[in-house]
Amino acid sequence: MSASLRKFILTRILLTIPMVLILITLVFIIMRILPGDPIRSQLGPRVTEAQANVLRERLGLNRPLIVQYGDFLWKMITFNFGNALTQGERPIKQELAEKLPATIELSVPAVIFMAVVGVWSGAYAAKNRKKPVDYIFRLLSIAVYSIPIFVMGLLFQILFSVRMPVFPLAGRMDTLMLVNFDSPTNFYVIDALITGNWPALGSALAHLALPAFTLGLALTGVFVRLTRVNMIEMLQSDFITAGRARGIPERRLVYQHALRNTFIPILTLIGLQFAALMAGAVLTETTFSWPGIGRYLVERIELRDYTAVQATIGVFAMFVAGISLIMDILYAFIDPRIRY
Amino acid sequence: MEEKPTTPDAVPQWQLDLDKVGFVRRLFLARKWYGGDWWFVAVSAVLLLFIILLGAAPQWFAPYDPRAEVGPALLAPGEVPLGYVLVVPAGSTTTSIKDIGTNKNNIGFVVGSPASQALRKTTDELNAAEKEAGTGITYQPRPRRYETNELGLADLASGKIDGFVASMEELEPLLPNFPGVKVVGNLSGNTRTFTLGTNQLGQDVLSRVIWGTRIALIVGLSSAIAAFLLGVPLGLISGFVGGPFDRILTMLMDSLYSFPGLILAIAIAAVLGAGIGNVIVAIAVLYIPTYFRIVRGQTLSVKNDLYVEAARSLGTPPWQILTKYILPNVIPSVVIIFSVNVADAILTEAGLSFLGLGLPPDTPDWGIDLARGQDYIRRAWWLITYPGLMVSLVTLSFSMLGESLAEILNPRLAEL
Repeated sequence: MSASLRKFILTRILLTIPMVLILITLVFIIMRILPGDPIRSQLGPRVTEAQANVLRERLGLNRPLIVQYGDFLWKMITFNFGNALTQGERPIKQELAEKLPATIELSVPAVIFMAVVGVWSGAYAAKNRKKPVDYIFRLLSIAVYSIPIFVMGLLFQILFSVRMPVFPLAGRMDTLMLVNFDSPTNFYVIDALITGNWPALGSALAHLALPAFTLGLALTGVFVRLTRVNMIEMLQSDFITAGRARGIPERRLVYQHALRNTFIPILTLIGLQFAALMAGAVLTETTFSWPGIGRYLVERIELRDYTAVQATIGVFAMFVAGISLIMDILYAFIDPRIRY
Repeated sequence: MEEKPTTPDAVPQWQLDLDKVGFVRRLFLARKWYGGDWWFVAVSAVLLLFIILLGAAPQWFAPYDPRAEVGPALLAPGEVPLGYVLVVPAGSTTTSIKDIGTNKNNIGFVVGSPASQALRKTTDELNAAEKEAGTGITYQPRPRRYETNELGLADLASGKIDGFVASMEELEPLLPNFPGVKVVGNLSGNTRTFTLGTNQLGQDVLSRVIWGTRIALIVGLSSAIAAFLLGVPLGLISGFVGGPFDRILTMLMDSLYSFPGLILAIAIAAVLGAGIGNVIVAIAVLYIPTYFRIVRGQTLSVKNDLYVEAARSLGTPPWQILTKYILPNVIPSVVIIFSVNVADAILTEAGLSFLGLGLPPDTPDWGIDLARGQDYIRRAWWLITYPGLMVSLVTLSFSMLGESLAEILNPRLAEL
């Protein structure tokens, strides 16, 4: 690792600190300073003010705002979120650690689908610019972008789970199989692979297929458009013309020479898409009853579990900061100009 | 005729021409200068007009009140409601309850079943109609009560009674066992069908889908306008003033922008509670940074232009420079963002209410209908398909409008 790269990474890590601070502050402002009383909504109108005050005291909500803010910040940074208010009052850290693998298992195939299908279709549309194929791809990408992800998911459920029962409707694995399935990491696919439990692997993959496809497809729309625009620009540049003059086959020009040079904006978009991915994961998980972090958040909002909601949103905020850090560092690896 | 540019690097003529005209003329004349996809604009404009009309006056289009329970629950689109039917002996010539309505006729039903109420309701309605017409006929068939449907049907087949009333769902499995009887049809003669079916409460899906347009447009437009009204001035001032104020505001807006929009809206909506005003606030907050970033960027690039410099040296006050010199340059890109934002806001609103946040549960709203429809996904596809198509159609037309506006106002995009 060169000195310049090391310096860049260090500065970038230092720059992440104010971003994390601002994001956590934002969550604090939303949860504590906006009108609306979390304790009242948790306990309901029939509980007396004295009882509500007991809970307030227990959660430290009667302290001055600035003390609460410091406390909240400390909890977020040390990943010690306290206990949930409902469902057995377990430590939130433990609950999130159980749910996170499910979300990752759903997101990784979705991102791979998005990158592969999105980049390929974008490049293909650019190669056939102003031909019918191009228009079809553009229209499809706008349509995919316009259909809400949960509507897409519900329609796929109707088509592939109800009409043609190819894939299971919801969940991560058949309930009967789940009884005998031991999952130490909570990554069902990985656990099934390690233990050589082939029926469980099949069930896990079948359950994964529809939600991952839905999430991936919904994210693809923007991707096709960006790749297409960048590729068209790239295909008009001098080095492509030069390559064409030398008789390099068009396929190679498009898919190797031009595509390689569009990777930087594409990488940026992958980074930006993580925000959309998280929002999409919340909706997809709710649609397919996928027990990940997104569904956890929605469930706890319904139960008005204030501490769990606050911690989950804080974790999402830290994800955002982390991903943007990783993306910037990756960037610097690929394009040395960025380090300076 | 002006000289055409000869080198490929030169700015094309249409672009020079376009720079001379104003915003509105650009909209109308742009088509002449570039090979843009005018049909894109046309299709999205027609769709949008229709959608706005739907949202402005849903009562003209919706056949029923969206909250009224107008039919049987979960009726498929176009399906004839079965409800309570009249069964008669196979050889009978009876065509409706009127033929066997005198006090010499016996009509059977299961004791204590809703069928007796249905029968009474039907005869009451018939009598009221006859009274109005002044014919003096009253329908008052003699009731015969049975323990089960099977006993009643057996009596009917042997001719002891003239008719039997029961719900079609109960009868369907029994009918093959009783070849001596036939179903005449719906008891009340009510064969009203529903174009898009009914939901689990018996509400008309078509009416709910149409009325949902109003909520979506209200939320989409008002939150986009609110974000516009806050984001544009903030961006203008921040870019114009510069200094630490600009830096702090930019950092704030950037972190707000990087946060996943829906999750932020979920947090705000969860804290504020249900209500259409709260949803608008929650969504408006998401889009302030979008306007801020664009407007600030444009302001920064314009503020050092020569004509602004000239205005400043002539002693024009800063706010006048902002409103008269900088704002007009910023507006075109804001218009594009606005249209895309409305689409986004409608998506977010549907997402929020799908998750059970935001709107009161009885609101005719697509997101709420979709969430409820999910419980009946195995039985009633129409509960999901139609509201889903409608959300997609509305967001699609706003996105298409944004897309085509972007091409017209920024023709360089059309080249790509």
